[in-house]
Amino acid sequence: MARKKLSEFRAKSILTAALGVEYAGVSVDTDDKGWQKHLPSKGRFVVKVDQGVKGRFKKGLVKLDVAAADLAKAVTELGSRGYRYLLIEPFAAHAEEAEFYLSIERTRAGNFVSYSRLGGIHVESKAGAIKRVRLESSSDSAAAKELGLPPESLQILADTFDDNYFAFLEINPLVITDGTPQLLDAAVEVDDEAAPFVNERWTPDDFRDPSQLTPEEEAILELASQSQASFRLKVLNPDGAFFLLLSGGGASIVVADEVNNQGHGKLLANYGEYSGNPNVEETYLYTKQVLSLMLKSKAPRKVLIIGGGVANFTDISKTFKGVVQALDEVKKPMRQQNIKVFVRRGGPNEAEGLAQMEKYLLREDLHGRVAGPELTLSKIVPLAAETVTTGAAS
Amino acid sequence: MTHLDIIRLRKLDPKVVALGSHRGIIQSMLDFDYLAGRKSPSVTAIVASGRRSERYFFGPKEVMIPAYNTLPELPESARKAANLFVNLSSGRRVLRSSREAMDQLPGLVGGVIFAEGFPEKHAIELYREADARGIWIIGGASVGIVVPGVVKLGAIGGTQALQLEQSRLFNPGSIAVVSSSGGMVNEVIRTVATTGHSLSFSLALGGERFPVLTPEDAFLAAQADDQTKAIAYFGELGGDDEYVLVDLLKDGRITKPVVCYIAGTVADLFDTPPQFGHAKAMAKTDDESARAKAAALNAAGAKAAPTYQDFVDSIAALTFKTKLPDPEPQAAKLSARKPALISSTVSGDRGDEVYLVGTELLDLASNNSFAHIVISMFLGHRTKSRELDEFVDFVLRLLVDHGPYVSGAVNTIVSARAGKDLVSSLASGLLTIGPRFGGAINQAAATWLEGVERGISPAQLVEERARVRSYILGIGHRKYRSDLPDPRVAKLLEFKSSLKDARFTNFAQGVETETTRKKGNLILNVDGAIAALMLDLLSEKEGYDTARLRALVDAEFFNGVFVLSRSVGFMAHYFDQSRLDEGMFRLTPGQVAHIDNEHTGF
Repeated sequence: MARKKLSEFRAKSILTAALGVEYAGVSVDTDDKGWQKHLPSKGRFVVKVDQGVKGRFKKGLVKLDVAAADLAKAVTELGSRGYRYLLIEPFAAHAEEAEFYLSIERTRAGNFVSYSRLGGIHVESKAGAIKRVRLESSSDSAAAKELGLPPESLQILADTFDDNYFAFLEINPLVITDGTPQLLDAAVEVDDEAAPFVNERWTPDDFRDPSQLTPEEEAILELASQSQASFRLKVLNPDGAFFLLLSGGGASIVVADEVNNQGHGKLLANYGEYSGNPNVEETYLYTKQVLSLMLKSKAPRKVLIIGGGVANFTDISKTFKGVVQALDEVKKPMRQQNIKVFVRRGGPNEAEGLAQMEKYLLREDLHGRVAGPELTLSKIVPLAAETVTTGAAS
Repeated sequence: MTHLDIIRLRKLDPKVVALGSHRGIIQSMLDFDYLAGRKSPSVTAIVASGRRSERYFFGPKEVMIPAYNTLPELPESARKAANLFVNLSSGRRVLRSSREAMDQLPGLVGGVIFAEGFPEKHAIELYREADARGIWIIGGASVGIVVPGVVKLGAIGGTQALQLEQSRLFNPGSIAVVSSSGGMVNEVIRTVATTGHSLSFSLALGGERFPVLTPEDAFLAAQADDQTKAIAYFGELGGDDEYVLVDLLKDGRITKPVVCYIAGTVADLFDTPPQFGHAKAMAKTDDESARAKAAALNAAGAKAAPTYQDFVDSIAALTFKTKLPDPEPQAAKLSARKPALISSTVSGDRGDEVYLVGTELLDLASNNSFAHIVISMFLGHRTKSRELDEFVDFVLRLLVDHGPYVSGAVNTIVSARAGKDLVSSLASGLLTIGPRFGGAINQAAATWLEGVERGISPAQLVEERARVRSYILGIGHRKYRSDLPDPRVAKLLEFKSSLKDARFTNFAQGVETETTRKKGNLILNVDGAIAALMLDLLSEKEGYDTARLRALVDAEFFNGVFVLSRSVGFMAHYFDQSRLDEGMFRLTPGQVAHIDNEHTGF
């Protein structure tokens, strides 16, 4: 479905194994009660957050040159900042000038390598030094030559990238000692749809996401993993006023765009969408989570927008049954909070679906507006916005 | 240069192979065909495991679309005729099945991939392979392509007949609609229809990061299409395919008016924007943002609308409205149809009369032999050859009984003596028919068919079976030997004289030559001879190819004649026992060998 960040531990395990270099990293999951037992007992170490966070060093999420005796303390301290996964690696001192940059990315035109002898945490300020060429054997040697990397090593990295369905690989800094590449920091994005093709060299358990999920978002991830249909939910502002129950990857962005265009971007509570003809039960479960968020919001005036384009094959009558089922469970608190529902949708069995929705909303005093394809998709937003800004249902 | 040629597509007689099955989508393609005035469905084959055919509506009536487990199983004629595919299989199978379609379908022009979750690397590989072969592939995660009045490949335009008419898909027009999003393609198609326009064609690229057919391909196809006067494009943040469009506009390779909306300006609100609905909908750099792409398109001469309403208004403002009135609506007629509970090709009522295999019952009964009616009904069509009818007639007579000793007859007799009725006694006899009793004809047919299909020699078959110590059914007799031939087999083999090649009978006799060398009683028996001759007659006189013969073997067809004929014998034994009325049959202890377990090792 998308590109996902792999844990640095898994990324390096794959890369070092391919390069034939020993890897002494230890992955710590602070949710695992016995994590302290896995700590190394001798040496000096680097401790860093391994959760797909960008710019870790600048954010203070990397601790250098930690003595073995202080490892537990370092882990606890970083963990207390809300991070579950950490990585411990042997500390290797090196000169700042030795820090190179190397990345590979997958594009339609082929895999491209970017490289520079000016790597490290300030690489962005020295971006002019980065060269980018397509990975072909002739250009490989230019990149390898400039970095002093053995061409075979670059070839191994390129093959490993491809065989493991990586989408993006960044090694920064890359330090080359006596022709042996040391991957001090490595970030890898994989194509999550490739999981069936990598023979468990990586699995979805290796995906790392810096954001912390709300219970509602977790519930939707769980729902999505068990269904043929597609579900997505992202909380943007827990105390927002515009709650979106949208269908379709494209239409959902159109509606969210319009909330922003109308000047209410900051009041946008969530983004999400369901598509691919979910059944009544799945639509009910999805709706329930959006409604749960909505009732918790402290915004003084709130609206629910049920929006979507003219569906190709999602059954409107069926999916709306699930929506109504979920609405029915919270109709009282919705009435108490004076929340109105605004609907714009089309597709198979739309007449039946829209009629049943309208009837229900009118009966339960939740009715804002129910419209089919005769209303422009984005037009439902200003109608709903009026309620938020003036408190009046149109 | 794109391989998608809309002018050529309009001239094509679409023959679509569905790779995988999706009821709603295939039905909507057939509804489109019917409403567009086609005489037969565009979907000619479904590759999906499980069944030999799937039933769909074509207009108000139901039709069977042939189904196959794998693409190579398609009859050669169907493979050669196919020119389009719609890939409805899951993401992980997409690369393999699409490749197979390109390999196996020599007349392939293009295809659509419906599955979401098709790895990026596979998309890029398919992009290169399709390009090298001159084939267009739209997707993954695409709802397809539609050319009004000509072809609908995928869910695009809707899955209900009413939606297709509301979107004016039977009244060709001048606007090409291209969208990354499958839902939005339909939304924009509807907008085109409700603003007095209609489509020249429309397609959904799919929301994956690397759509196999690029926006560039779609735009060049629209530019080259003489019916297209303007392009309406719905794009999203993420990826940089739109910059190629910018170049096309700047270079003057696209000169037709372009109106578009690039969704995702809302992403600017967030430090780390969420992953939106589609895989590619995540802007990694500023260039990939919706705002930057819209600005670049505007600067290149497209009309990139700042809001969705402006996009709708700019479509409405296009001046290529459709002049012809829409055809008479017919979708309502299709809304009340209900699928039948069962299908039948054998018999049914027409008006007040009963028809069997296409002929009125009394007419059939008055002018044909029982054997002709039997074999025609078993096959589901009237036989063409007198020889097959005569052969079946002889076999029906020959197999009628073989004495009271055989298991089926014994069972019938025991049941009759236990006071059971006619049907129960007959059934108890019939229920013994199987792998050891009476079922050998079908097994023998399977063996001869396999031998001929594989092109192996009789000696090789005998060798293979000997190696795994497995009997060859159709060979061997308790009493008759090569020097004491079975007169029934000799009589059966007289039917060989009407055959030209007699491939199966010759093979069976070749096997007999090998086996009788080992042991004199391993002769071709009645079962083996019937199976071989029946295969030859069906093949030479009725035109059955090996695939159809295989289907008959799978259905146990070759035992059918035995079951029918031997029912006569079983009923005769039942009536006989009723007349004799000897009372219940029971064994005495002396008639049972009492075996001591200790000595048997059980």
